[in-house]
Amino acid sequence: MIRRTSLAALLLATAGLGQAAAADKAARRTYTAYVACESSDEVYIVDFDGEQAKTRDVFEVGYQATEVEGPHGLTVGPAGDYWYCSIAHGKPFGILYKYRVGSNELVGECELGMFPATMQISPMTGLLYVVNFNLHGRMLPSTVSIVDPEEMVEVARTVTGAMPHGSRLTRAGDKHYSCAMMSGELYEIDAATFDVTRNMQLDVDLPKNHASEAKPTWVSPHPTEPRIYAALNGKAQIVEVDTDKWLVTRRFRTGKGPYNLDVTPDGGLLVATYKGDQALGVWDLATGEERKRIPTSRPVTHGVAVTGDGRYAFVTCESRNADPGTLDIVDLRTDKVAATVVVGLQAGGIALLER
Amino acid sequence: MVERSRSFLALALALAAATAPAQNQKPAAGGSVRVTPPALTLPVGQKAKLEAEVLDPGGRPAEGRVLFFSRARRALRVSRDGELTAVSPGTHEVVVRAMFGRERGPEATVVVTVPHPEPAGIEVEGAPAVLYTGTNVRVTAAVVDKDGVERDDLEVTMRTSDKAVLEVDAFGFLHAKKAGEASLLASGGGLDHVRVFKIEANPVEKLQLSSSHERARTGDVVTFTAALSDAGGAAVAGVPVEYTFRAMPDDTLGNAATGQITSDGRFVAEQPGLYTITASCGAARDQMTLRCDERFAQKKKLVKVGHGPVLDVHTSDLWVWEGVDGRDYCVTGTWGANGDAIFWDVTDPSRIERIATVTVDARTVNDVKVSEDGRLCIISREGASDRKNGIVAFDVTDPRKPERITEFNDELTGGVHNLFIDKNYAYALSAGRRYDVLDIKNPRAPTRVGSYQIFEPGASIHDVWIEDGIAYSSNWRYGLHLVDVGNGIKGGSPSNPVKIGNYAYPSGWNHAAFPWRSKDTNKFYVLAGDEAFPYGLSTKDNPTYARGWIHFVDFTDLDDPQEVARYEVPEAGTHNLWVEGNTLYVAYYNGGLRVVDISGDLMGDLYRQGREIAWFLPTHPKGVVPNAPMVWGPQPYKGKIFFSDWNSGLWCVELVEDRGRRR
Repeated sequence: MIRRTSLAALLLATAGLGQAAAADKAARRTYTAYVACESSDEVYIVDFDGEQAKTRDVFEVGYQATEVEGPHGLTVGPAGDYWYCSIAHGKPFGILYKYRVGSNELVGECELGMFPATMQISPMTGLLYVVNFNLHGRMLPSTVSIVDPEEMVEVARTVTGAMPHGSRLTRAGDKHYSCAMMSGELYEIDAATFDVTRNMQLDVDLPKNHASEAKPTWVSPHPTEPRIYAALNGKAQIVEVDTDKWLVTRRFRTGKGPYNLDVTPDGGLLVATYKGDQALGVWDLATGEERKRIPTSRPVTHGVAVTGDGRYAFVTCESRNADPGTLDIVDLRTDKVAATVVVGLQAGGIALLER
Repeated sequence: MVERSRSFLALALALAAATAPAQNQKPAAGGSVRVTPPALTLPVGQKAKLEAEVLDPGGRPAEGRVLFFSRARRALRVSRDGELTAVSPGTHEVVVRAMFGRERGPEATVVVTVPHPEPAGIEVEGAPAVLYTGTNVRVTAAVVDKDGVERDDLEVTMRTSDKAVLEVDAFGFLHAKKAGEASLLASGGGLDHVRVFKIEANPVEKLQLSSSHERARTGDVVTFTAALSDAGGAAVAGVPVEYTFRAMPDDTLGNAATGQITSDGRFVAEQPGLYTITASCGAARDQMTLRCDERFAQKKKLVKVGHGPVLDVHTSDLWVWEGVDGRDYCVTGTWGANGDAIFWDVTDPSRIERIATVTVDARTVNDVKVSEDGRLCIISREGASDRKNGIVAFDVTDPRKPERITEFNDELTGGVHNLFIDKNYAYALSAGRRYDVLDIKNPRAPTRVGSYQIFEPGASIHDVWIEDGIAYSSNWRYGLHLVDVGNGIKGGSPSNPVKIGNYAYPSGWNHAAFPWRSKDTNKFYVLAGDEAFPYGLSTKDNPTYARGWIHFVDFTDLDDPQEVARYEVPEAGTHNLWVEGNTLYVAYYNGGLRVVDISGDLMGDLYRQGREIAWFLPTHPKGVVPNAPMVWGPQPYKGKIFFSDWNSGLWCVELVEDRGRRR
């Protein structure tokens, strides 16, 4: 038997639950991810509403029909009105394409260097900084291309190390960081002068003949602290660099082949893809402990981007051969994969559009 | 003689007046940027300094950094502190952007005009020293600057001093009317150029025409020769002769132009019919009529012998060879798929048997080649999961059990699109930038011994083919490159490739190269194949409509290559090609496999001349794109023709008499 008071309480509780669900639903956001599939020359656009992820659109990029051109890097402009995609292989130089968000209309292009890869736009200068990865064999110093994304013209090139990758800016956009994978270096560029201001050898075993053993592949600045994190792909480590002192302050032992990194907007968590371990590592930056290692749906775990609210990590998995790649969406509250979508061959670059 | 008639530009514009209104202020709530000067004109090679001041919304000076960048940095350089250097003419923009702390601020755009260097002269070309009455010659004229660079923004007009003696038309044709002296006046860019011509009485009284053929077929190059003599019967040389023709094609039902004649009297017919060739020189003229028959009285056709279907993935290149056991084999690659190469027993081409598949870490195995001894197969890799790509070698002594013996990716990580094996060397492309030469005497341990790269801005390579110690590479807009890699003509070797010559054409579509010496004419050609997809490439569901043709480049004089002929199938596009004897085999993508007669001398469009022997459209209802021919590469072999089709796999066809289509 249910007493009247209990029934009222139950009704109230039920109503409260309903309100909470409605509020949760109202608060639920739709995230849109752009995923570059490097071996099928496609970009997938995937929507995730907090429960389900769906491919909204797929389209081909590039201009050389029978060649694998390799879309690699992606970013969305600060105003959210354009997105940008770097094409690795041209004749021979790669290209930066500019598309309108929504219609995906191609509105501009700009020739860059060899194998342009990851990129970001600085809110301070309004310019786009993209590394010319130059994965073409000869380990020579390469460059960072600096592009005016409004007119799509390259305005400068700054020489850095061999195979620069992981092009990331500070939140303010005043400093640009990248890692030179094969010369083992970390580079800092002043976003306004385009000059290299500092660099650091990250490989304690000094690289021989431009063949770093550490192979730093990525760098992510901390959003609020003067620190950056670099993935040492060849040594299963992530290093923390104090940018005030320009010193390595911590080393994290990771899974095999840490590749891409991102830090949650509150600076509490660092997420790292483990290319050789088919997993995503979630690190608590306060403790320096790996909080969780989450298996991904396919091997060759590549890119990662954390949503602006810090709730999810979008993770691309390349896989191999004809096995298509995937996009895994990891809930950073539960440390579980919330959704997975199959995309094209060799899914790598990722960028988020949040509305 | 050059006469300066008026000043072109007052180049004392180095720094324009501060009143120029071209400074474009972007509206910004946070203030503005004032740049001095707000616009300027700067001659090539000159420098100027921009001064920028950040202002608050009230127009008062404010704290803020300024960023300068040029939107045409190769034409107009700007330093970090605003110093400009003009490099090349045009109207360029420099952006001066303010930054308030770490926030983007307002900006100004400064328009910088870099004028062309002043015209320095007019160059007239094509004019002989002496003209003869009743003859025509063509001249061209252009304005050049002090460095000799043509000012293509300036037009040149021409007129003569005495039209009764010498006339010039709008296209630069000079018509010598009567003996005497007359001037040609070329004007442009404020300059005049005067050239005085002497016109002599034409000594030619008689012109007698002869031809290399009494009767010809379409596509045959017939040489007409005009013998000139004066009133006394003595031979005359050096007076220009004009050749024209009138066509009377057999097909009179609205037929189009049907032949071509060159200024030196070589003629080729495209359609069967009668052709009357007229040669004239002043008042002297002669004409001959030539009968041109259809090229092939008996038609041939290609018939299917066998098909090795590959219907789940796209097929790329092929190589057919005789195995060490005396049987015949073929290997085909795959495109945008699982990294497979497929081996076939084609001993009985009517029963093509798939005998083995190897899989490497790749998405595309674009090229496959087998060594001359039939023991070593090398395949290319693109889309490797570790992005190291390179090549993979297999021992194919027993093609039913290919044994993977090594891979090589050092400096080939960006992807190998094409490769070639010649004797003990493999030539592998590195990411469209160059080809590396690998010593494969020990195929289990290849070593790099040489490399060839075109060091020009934006140079890119697509394929390489080796024959008689010469590497023939196809390089998109840089065209064909011939390189001595052991021939000796330039002292080259695999470890020391030395360029012999090159030839490029405007489209930039150069995708393939194949050398061929004509035994009929002893002319040496390099056939350049295009690849173009102006309407895109459809990987599934729909057919593709490619474009492009085969360019016949006469390299007989290695220092002066001439493009003399083409083979262009309308509405289709070329891919790979092969020449055996006097027969050209072309993989013509959506146009199928084409077989072409290239015997004799070559001139003009071989397709329109009816030189095509036969064609074959491979289709399969369950192809990757159903019923859509997309022929990738041909290889004639032991009297048959093997080819790979992108949508349907490996095919073998045979050329036979078409007894059902006698005309």
